[in-house]
Amino acid sequence: MRILSTLFFKELRALFFSPVAWVVMGLVMVINGFSFRAAIAALESGPRAGSIVTWTFNSTWFWISYFFVFPLLTMRLFAEERKLGTFETLFTAPVHTWQVVSAKYLAAVFFYCLLWLPSLGNFALFQWMTAGATELPHGVLYSTYLLLFFMGLFNLAAGCFASALTSNQIVAAALSFTISVMHFLLGIFILYLGRRVPEVFVDLVYYIASIEHIRVFTSGLVDTRILVYYGSFSLLFLVFTHHVLEFRRWRL
Amino acid sequence: MPAIIEVHSLTKQYAGRTAVEGLTFSIEAGQCVGFLGPNGAGKSTTMKILAGYLPPTSGTARVNGFDVFHQSIPARQSLGYMPENAPLYTDMRVKEYLHFRGALKGLKGKALIKNTDEAMEACALTDSRRKIIGTLSKGYRQRVALADALINRPPLLILDEPTNGLDPVQIRHVRELLAALRPASTILLSTHILSEVEHACDRVLLIHRGKLRADDSPRRLVNRLRAASDVHVELQGKGNLAEELSKITGVRKITEEKTDDTWKRFTLRVEARADIRGAIFDLALQKKWHIRELHRELPSLEDVFVELTSSEI
Repeated sequence: MRILSTLFFKELRALFFSPVAWVVMGLVMVINGFSFRAAIAALESGPRAGSIVTWTFNSTWFWISYFFVFPLLTMRLFAEERKLGTFETLFTAPVHTWQVVSAKYLAAVFFYCLLWLPSLGNFALFQWMTAGATELPHGVLYSTYLLLFFMGLFNLAAGCFASALTSNQIVAAALSFTISVMHFLLGIFILYLGRRVPEVFVDLVYYIASIEHIRVFTSGLVDTRILVYYGSFSLLFLVFTHHVLEFRRWRL
Repeated sequence: MPAIIEVHSLTKQYAGRTAVEGLTFSIEAGQCVGFLGPNGAGKSTTMKILAGYLPPTSGTARVNGFDVFHQSIPARQSLGYMPENAPLYTDMRVKEYLHFRGALKGLKGKALIKNTDEAMEACALTDSRRKIIGTLSKGYRQRVALADALINRPPLLILDEPTNGLDPVQIRHVRELLAALRPASTILLSTHILSEVEHACDRVLLIHRGKLRADDSPRRLVNRLRAASDVHVELQGKGNLAEELSKITGVRKITEEKTDDTWKRFTLRVEARADIRGAIFDLALQKKWHIRELHRELPSLEDVFVELTSSEI
């Protein structure tokens, strides 16, 4: 446990001392502002179904911020160690590979959670400005941020895996971006096909379509199947990452 | 003395190429062993296996009684490893890095602070403790890596070319540091600087093409393997000096070198164990020659190194 926390804080320190993290944080805040503004505009234009939270996270702006966050947060995790050669010092210290993987992953998850905190301020500000005249359903807020957390777990795990594969941070970022976008597009693509594919197929796709998940959770529903889906895929990618790092110790 | 490193028929193959083949040796606690061999001989590979970074293809290696593959964590706990080229986190400060490494190796609380300070002191890093590693020169980085290796005072130090890229003053400093660590720690170091091994080590392992070619003390290795040594003599006198000298038993060959004046300088190649200096002196006395120089040149480890590694076997 002590080794895990030592590695975790070292990783956090590296994140906070690098300009990338702060740039990401700034950009996410700006884009959140845009998606919040888009939500207000939508609500202003007339009576609408759904709350301010629903409209904020169903805007195009939200998806823009969503995709660039993960590659930027995860690309350096393993790729940099590989490039610097510090893998050798790291893995000749008495540490287990799983400790290294978990510490790096948890640090990325921690920073990801921090990224979304300022967006809560938008809603608080909104309620203050309108003097409580508009409805801010707390349940919806909880369910939405719960989903954001789980979607983050999944994409960050995919990013870790991408970073473990290469010593080039650009390649890692491109790979992580591709995994996230392909996952998103796969869901959209089949939603577009709509009723032209068998019903079973549509049901299956419901598990993949992030856009559908956001729609469900921002309306205040908590579907545990989706959380299990994201959770188990995160675990799968972390196991892959572990195996990539352990590969060097395989007796071939 | 118990063996701290036990290697038995260790073999490592990379994609069909054999880097290390059937290596067997053991090192007793307290020894300082120099690991020699030309580039690509398998030194670094062997060290990486011992440090638990790479698995052996076949054979076993034990460090402090623990198998480096099956009991990797306790084995790694009992060694400090300094890789070639000293890879470090370039964005950390010296003290911060050593603190991090100490904590990873299981130190905590006061022991962590004390050991960090002592490691910095030993490697003359105290003045640079607040510097960012990325801004340090090569010599300082090597010292940081060395401080890292010895921070938890492991019974075994594995140092892969610790003096690579250092200037002569720094090399001397590292040598003194290693000498100071000696009674408590066993040291296995690889280097290209042979004089260093002659000075610091009490045993040499010489490997070539992945195979162990020699295992002895530097002095004995030189005596055993070098067939001949040279005696230099500068004489002044009448008669055919070279012919008279060649009559001394043990002399194989005489070469005459030019000098600026009337003195004559000879190099006599003699059999390794024969010391003919006394005989030359007696001869000079008898013939009434003058001697202004007489010395025997002992073969160096470098000669042995070249002899053992340049031959194709």
